[in-house]
Amino acid sequence: MEFKNLLLLLTDDGDEEIITPCIQFCKFFRCKLFVLFVIEPFRVSRLASLTHQQTDKLLKVIEEQGWKLLYLVEDEATENDIRTSLHYEEGNMIKLIKEFVENYDIDAIFVRKKEEAKKLFVSSPVMVIGL
Amino acid sequence: MQLRISDYLKPEVIMMKLKQQEKIAVLKELVEHLVKNNLVKNGEEFINALAKRENLESTGIGNGIAIPHARTDTVEDLVLAFARSSEGVDFSAIDGKPSHLIFLIASPEDKKSEYIMALAKLSRLLRRESVRKMLMDAESPEEILKIVQDNED
Repeated sequence: MEFKNLLLLLTDDGDEEIITPCIQFCKFFRCKLFVLFVIEPFRVSRLASLTHQQTDKLLKVIEEQGWKLLYLVEDEATENDIRTSLHYEEGNMIKLIKEFVENYDIDAIFVRKKEEAKKLFVSSPVMVIGL
Repeated sequence: MQLRISDYLKPEVIMMKLKQQEKIAVLKELVEHLVKNNLVKNGEEFINALAKRENLESTGIGNGIAIPHARTDTVEDLVLAFARSSEGVDFSAIDGKPSHLIFLIASPEDKKSEYIMALAKLSRLLRRESVRKMLMDAESPEEILKIVQDNED
């Protein structure tokens, strides 16, 4: 089996533990790693409402956390000589993933297994590797 | 951790007009400026670290922004520099557009958290179109610094 382009999907509820296995996977298959952090605005509003926080303040925290995750992946990837491409997007996760798969010729998607990821396993056009 | 970009960005390392236009030449111009200001001990080592990263990924994050960066022990503390190019520099940005606003970040190997935080804060700040426009229109290093100070939170 060959992998050329892998997509690592990161979301707003902390996915640091997925970084190292994903980097090791890329190292083994010598593939390029596309890293996508997605904010789904409706989830932020819902979370703000549930936790009695202001949406814009929560969004600021999530935005910063997203960029932090992206650069953490990039730093570890660089140490392992893996080519990366960092992307930060707001919008519908499934729609964005489909665009990425098409635009960047993605072979497989790495994602942390959790409730929100279920829809991805069902609708992804390529292999999904859940950790 | 509370880190402010404006605490690290000094007027003497803000270059309002780059002379060079090619990516590696631009990085050299910036690093030489940092060496002159005694913020980088070994310019060649730092350029090599930056070039290695540029070979593995594009630090052009789109919207006319590039944030070349590296961890290297040729600096003693987190170092930030800014340069502006009216012509634009090809950083192989993800949107294919040339970079006009270039922020360079260097950090010692043992300051990874501050380094990641600075990258995250800067990337977030520069997503705002109003900030990018103000940085493009600013007329002095002091003005650039004030824009960063007033808009980071």
